[in-house]
Amino acid sequence: MECNALVVNTPAHRPDTRRSKSYGRSCVEPPSLFWQTPGHLTTLGHRIPTSRRAAKSHNITTKVDPEQVALLIKNEWKLSHVTPLYRFRHTQLKLYSKHLAAFIIAEKQQGVAVEVGVEAGFKVTFSAVLGIAETKEDAETVFIQVHSKPLFSADTPKAVWRGWLTCVNGDPEYLRSLPPDFVSLPLFCSSGPEYLTALVKSWFERTFDCSFGSLYLNSTMLNWLAALWTGCHPTSNIRYLKLAWNMPSQPPLDIAYTVNPQDAWELWNSIHTEDSTDDRINIEEVQLFMNGLEIHFFRHFKIYLSAGTLTKVSTALGSAHHDGKIKIGSSDYITTLLTLLTECALMKTPV
Amino acid sequence: MALLTPYSKIPELNTATVLLVENEEQFQSRLADAIVQQEKDINVNVRLARKLPLPVENSETRPRIDLVVFIVNLLSERSLQAAESSLSHLGPDYFLGKLCFLVTDARCGAVPQERLLSVRRLAASHHCPVIYAEHQTEDGITMTAMRVLTILKVSAGLSPVATTALYLSTFTRCTFPSDFDED
Repeated sequence: MECNALVVNTPAHRPDTRRSKSYGRSCVEPPSLFWQTPGHLTTLGHRIPTSRRAAKSHNITTKVDPEQVALLIKNEWKLSHVTPLYRFRHTQLKLYSKHLAAFIIAEKQQGVAVEVGVEAGFKVTFSAVLGIAETKEDAETVFIQVHSKPLFSADTPKAVWRGWLTCVNGDPEYLRSLPPDFVSLPLFCSSGPEYLTALVKSWFERTFDCSFGSLYLNSTMLNWLAALWTGCHPTSNIRYLKLAWNMPSQPPLDIAYTVNPQDAWELWNSIHTEDSTDDRINIEEVQLFMNGLEIHFFRHFKIYLSAGTLTKVSTALGSAHHDGKIKIGSSDYITTLLTLLTECALMKTPV
Repeated sequence: MALLTPYSKIPELNTATVLLVENEEQFQSRLADAIVQQEKDINVNVRLARKLPLPVENSETRPRIDLVVFIVNLLSERSLQAAESSLSHLGPDYFLGKLCFLVTDARCGAVPQERLLSVRRLAASHHCPVIYAEHQTEDGITMTAMRVLTILKVSAGLSPVATTALYLSTFTRCTFPSDFDED
């Protein structure tokens, strides 16, 4: 089987489990009026995973510097997926910081009269957050902060924008099939003003020849998160399970459905009994769990929740919104969450 | 429980009837208008329903239904569930070329891929074609209407060339797709 660049060719001897469908099918369609055609399982030969390992509590502070972990937990992140970066070197982070700072300043000054104001300068720091990557194929996480340097005062620079690129438990076959100069960090999280996000993305696109796209979380992904987080209840109290639905009625109805964590845990436990030997969770169990919650709601309110869309899932461990915004509540289960998101990003990347 | 059967009534001359079943009732009426406007040569009756079984009161006056189209909107899970539960009310003769599935919003990025796969699996297990429709533009609706009309003419026996089962087998795969597992 030969792999050229980023195309996986149909191997001469076809193994039974994998077939690579026509590469051209889903990527080269003209942009449609509607959302971007997801270039997903067909191009990478991925199958949508039907079972996953249960969330394991990881005391990640043993591997990662607790200050850096604290930075990840604080904010609400907007997700994007990124194609592999060409010639990104973890050793040249200082150089990248200087370039990005210069780029941002130059872009800001374009067409604007030079003003002696508060935000006269920007300082950018790139740092590698070691320890988040799980397997040896995963590249190390890179954390980027943009601080604004006030010109005259003696204040310390304050961070106006943060972002990070990460890859956790990415598909090993895909990562191995990349040509040597490419680094894959498919998940990009950003928090801060929109213009800075756009500037950082365009700098990355110019420097590393990659492309960004927004990552939306569909209802299957949110269902997995709800089930995985509920399963964590015995070890780390989730305090509530909140689901937000949007019903397409006239006028549109927003439903916020809060479930007591103990009840949610009992429902989950009755579906997926705790079995220490096999900790895989199937998609059917997740669907049964969500069905149980929907039927309960129907019994009381006579509303079919499945006729609407699930927009947000939140627990004390974190929250995820269908538009691609997440908030990480606690550092315990961060690895599982990032694994899920990396997988989602890899599936949505158009190559 | 009475099943809907196609051959229990006498067909009328130069007439074809199609039944559009949709749980949300959004797309049906526009598609119905487009179908009726498209066809000039034969009489086309379009009946709309939310689900099967059809109300018993009308069964005497209802004409013979030549084609049943299940419209599934991929944005809601409920749409698919309703279509599945209505399937059990159809007589077996409908599965020989008088039934097809129409799916809208298949290209929407927010739709989980599993839903489309389930629709395809459902259709393949009953040997029925799946048509993908774009319901937000005029052109899309017209195109869908044309496709439904083409199938309708064959199902109603108004096309001199094609017989139903032979024609529709060009739309469907005859083998149960074990390659669905690879899809």
